[in-house]
Amino acid sequence: MEYNKEKKEIITDRELSNLDKLVLKFIKILEKHVDYVIISGYVSILLGRSRATEDVDVFINKIHINVFSKLYDELINSGFWCLNAEKVKDIYSFLEDGLAVRFSEEGKPVPNFEVKFPKRDVDKETFNDFIIVKLNEGKLKISSLERQIAFKRYYLCSDKDIEDALHIEKTFKNQISFKEIERLKNIIERIKKDEKNKKFFTFSKQEI
Amino acid sequence: MKIDKIKKEKRIFLKPGKTNKEDRLNFVKFWAEYVRTHSDKEWSKQQNIVINSQIKR
Repeated sequence: MEYNKEKKEIITDRELSNLDKLVLKFIKILEKHVDYVIISGYVSILLGRSRATEDVDVFINKIHINVFSKLYDELINSGFWCLNAEKVKDIYSFLEDGLAVRFSEEGKPVPNFEVKFPKRDVDKETFNDFIIVKLNEGKLKISSLERQIAFKRYYLCSDKDIEDALHIEKTFKNQISFKEIERLKNIIERIKKDEKNKKFFTFSKQEI
Repeated sequence: MKIDKIKKEKRIFLKPGKTNKEDRLNFVKFWAEYVRTHSDKEWSKQQNIVINSQIKR
């Protein structure tokens, strides 16, 4: 894999897996309607991590329901379905409420695409520093390596997430900005603190 | 590329972990080193055995 940090580009002639082919199929439809960035586990897998997954997480920019409706129609006509609801209005309202909606090939819930609007400012930033991965059969936009490492290591924190972060760190060693990871770590710590406070106050209200 | 040279010069060994968690982390490091020092075609062929066993097309 060749990573050009300046161009924010990774070129690989990796043999495509069935998962990669499915992701390319889904993204080819998605990108006609909305800007996107792939985040989380699949990024590590695309970059070599040796594990399977049941979902591919994707941020999409906030779009109007009319645009979403066209996207949904094309997904349905291409053999995908939504696991959460059938009516466009219902699916869109989940997204608007900050929830993720899942699409998969019809009748096959796994693997699926977990699609959501970015809520927090740090999530919206994902669209500013994404990397393009050039594969033999197409291109994919993924979140920056530093963002990937920081969120896995300091926000999600499960064994699997720590391993994903470690894989990227070791595979791209010398090309990772630890200063940027530190900046994101500080933001994440603030987010976690806010979430903890929010939980505490909700709990206290229930007690009253 | 230097890949063949690296392969000849230095074989990486997997350090056994004292716990399951440590062992897993050691393997992740070992595999990342393999990915770094081998061609994309070579590592992806092996990785795809894991991935394609889950998704048949």
